[in-house]
Amino acid sequence: MNDFLTYLPDFAHALWTTLYISLAAAAMGAVVGFGLNTLRLWLPLCAWPCRVYVWLIRGTPFLAQLFVFYFGLPVLGVTLDAVTATVLALTLYSGAYFAELFRSAWNSVPKGQLEAARVHGIGGAQIFWHIQAPQALAFCLPLLGNQVILTIKESAVASIITVPELTQTAGQIVSNTYSYVVPYTLLVLSYWLLTQAVGLGAAWLAQRATRYQKG
Amino acid sequence: MMATFYDRLGLYAPALWQGAQVTLVLCLLAMALGFVIAVLLDGLGRSSSRGWVWCSRVYVSFFRGTPLLAQLLLCFYLPSALGVDVPGSVAAVMVLALNTAAYQAQILRSGFDAIAPGQLEAAAVFGLSRRQTLLQIQLPQVLRLTLPALVSEFIDVIKVSAVISVVAVTDLMRVGQQLVAQTYRPLEVYLVAALFYLALTSILALIGRILEKRWQERHG
Amino acid sequence: MSSPAIIELRRVGKSYGSHRVLKGIDLRVQAGEIVALIGPSGSGKTTALRCMNFLERYDEGEVWINGQLLGYSGSGRRAEDQDGPGAIAEVRKPLAMVFQQFNLWPHMTVLENVMAPLLLGKRLKRDEARRIAEQTLARVGMAAKADAYPARLSGGQQQRVGIARALAVEPQLLLLDEPTSALDPELVEEVLNVIQGLARDGMTMVMVTHEMSFAAKVSSQVVFMEAGEVIERGAPAQLFRQPATERLQQFLKPWMQRGLEMH
Repeated sequence: MNDFLTYLPDFAHALWTTLYISLAAAAMGAVVGFGLNTLRLWLPLCAWPCRVYVWLIRGTPFLAQLFVFYFGLPVLGVTLDAVTATVLALTLYSGAYFAELFRSAWNSVPKGQLEAARVHGIGGAQIFWHIQAPQALAFCLPLLGNQVILTIKESAVASIITVPELTQTAGQIVSNTYSYVVPYTLLVLSYWLLTQAVGLGAAWLAQRATRYQKG
Repeated sequence: MMATFYDRLGLYAPALWQGAQVTLVLCLLAMALGFVIAVLLDGLGRSSSRGWVWCSRVYVSFFRGTPLLAQLLLCFYLPSALGVDVPGSVAAVMVLALNTAAYQAQILRSGFDAIAPGQLEAAAVFGLSRRQTLLQIQLPQVLRLTLPALVSEFIDVIKVSAVISVVAVTDLMRVGQQLVAQTYRPLEVYLVAALFYLALTSILALIGRILEKRWQERHG
Repeated sequence: MSSPAIIELRRVGKSYGSHRVLKGIDLRVQAGEIVALIGPSGSGKTTALRCMNFLERYDEGEVWINGQLLGYSGSGRRAEDQDGPGAIAEVRKPLAMVFQQFNLWPHMTVLENVMAPLLLGKRLKRDEARRIAEQTLARVGMAAKADAYPARLSGGQQQRVGIARALAVEPQLLLLDEPTSALDPELVEEVLNVIQGLARDGMTMVMVTHEMSFAAKVSSQVVFMEAGEVIERGAPAQLFRQPATERLQQFLKPWMQRGLEMH
């Protein structure tokens, strides 16, 4: 246990790395996903490329995607360090899932409301911002939180390309101290705490957002 | 060094196909084992004892709230600390099963809830034991109701299974890594490996959609 | 006391939290009797019926089936706790039930529904179970639909299958919980005809029902309940023509106005 205390700073740093990678990727991924959804609504021509992108990302493991970015891109002359490759890959990964999330959220707004708006002379952009967006976003708020949790969990994969996040650091401690139980147990507990915290935070936010709805 | 891409593909494909088979078999085993665990979990979650209910909630929260890789490392090296040597594939199937059970329990729960309590009353009244009621009355219906969701979960299992390559299982991903070590062509190999996964998940997704349509037609 | 009672309720009581649904019910049903339980909703008649085969746990009193105490051991402990869940199944074996919502198993065919209690509950051999099932289906007029699934049948047909399922186990007493209440009016008659056939064949029955003229026609004893108590009981001829209590008179008003048929 004493041994472990000396590694506490490394663990704290690793926790920060995990958070930084996951939250950055999730935030950027949400922007990407929102952008893709908006794009396919505005330019129907973009609908099928977006679908292909979503299909490719959601149909393959993140590990494979990460390997393509980290090991494969150098072949094309683009060499990324492990952290950058991870953030990039994770952004594109969560972007596809966010895009799918926003797509079904937008579809959940009843078509009748859109017809009513058009009939009363409300233009496309205004329909998007004033009728669809508020309802769709309220609908998918809990799911957004869930996607952040999924992103945090997926970040563990980056340990395989030796990014100094939680899983990789735990592995380091194991190989330095020759003890398995404590480091790996603390590893899973850290993730569990993280995801529970994010889950509670998202639930709290969702509750605040819909409080005004219930009036 | 082979001349064209298609020649090299002839080298990759059989090896990757072997890896894909390993992935499929291990995931199927994990799925089946996970199903049994999930049924047990659902039962615990409906127990009259608060302790068991809490246990099942903690189980589900833990396995859904932590990465599979971390669970795998914990469960693979834990036996080593006790002196037991567990082969990678066994540990992989076990952890995948424990993991998918948490997700399947949620899926099965709505299936069990959908069965009218009157059917269980009738079973009790006509002398069926709890086990007979579960196997003959509940499970056939639950399976039919949840099959599309279970296929979806199976697709997820295949995707997350990519990390079992770290515990020395020669699955699709590890074969890819081996090929890269042989050919020094990471972009090609990993793209083709990704395509193999894509093929697997897409075919399964198609099967899932067909199943969903058939159930809707028959029981809609 | 001409013959021993198949089922006997002594001071049976039940509460849901602070609400007392049954306040001490006494009932004896002998072989060959047909008892109709009538009363307004909330009177506890369905609860009383469900206590008879322990679908509801009663809190006070005793339910005896063929001289055996149901659900509790002599010392007052729950039979389940002492002798395992099989103890209850054993004591309530002579009983079968027909449900208001039919409660057929939708993933099985009509024939499989009727065979299931024989195969799984009574553990008969498959040929034997099939023979009995086919016979009982013929008896209720559903032989032609043996391979159909319940979803394809009308309510009246489903209930007849439910009756066949209950008959197949050859019960000593049949419990019927508002067997026609969930049916469209035009389907009620076919089910009542089947039940009347059973009565003619001498089946002992306890039936909760709102079909007053049917109860008057078929039953040998009518029990009127209200607010968890038995208010009045007696032969149908007497009870329906000259209700002794004010409350029964009130209850029967709508039927009296329509001209209750009596034989």
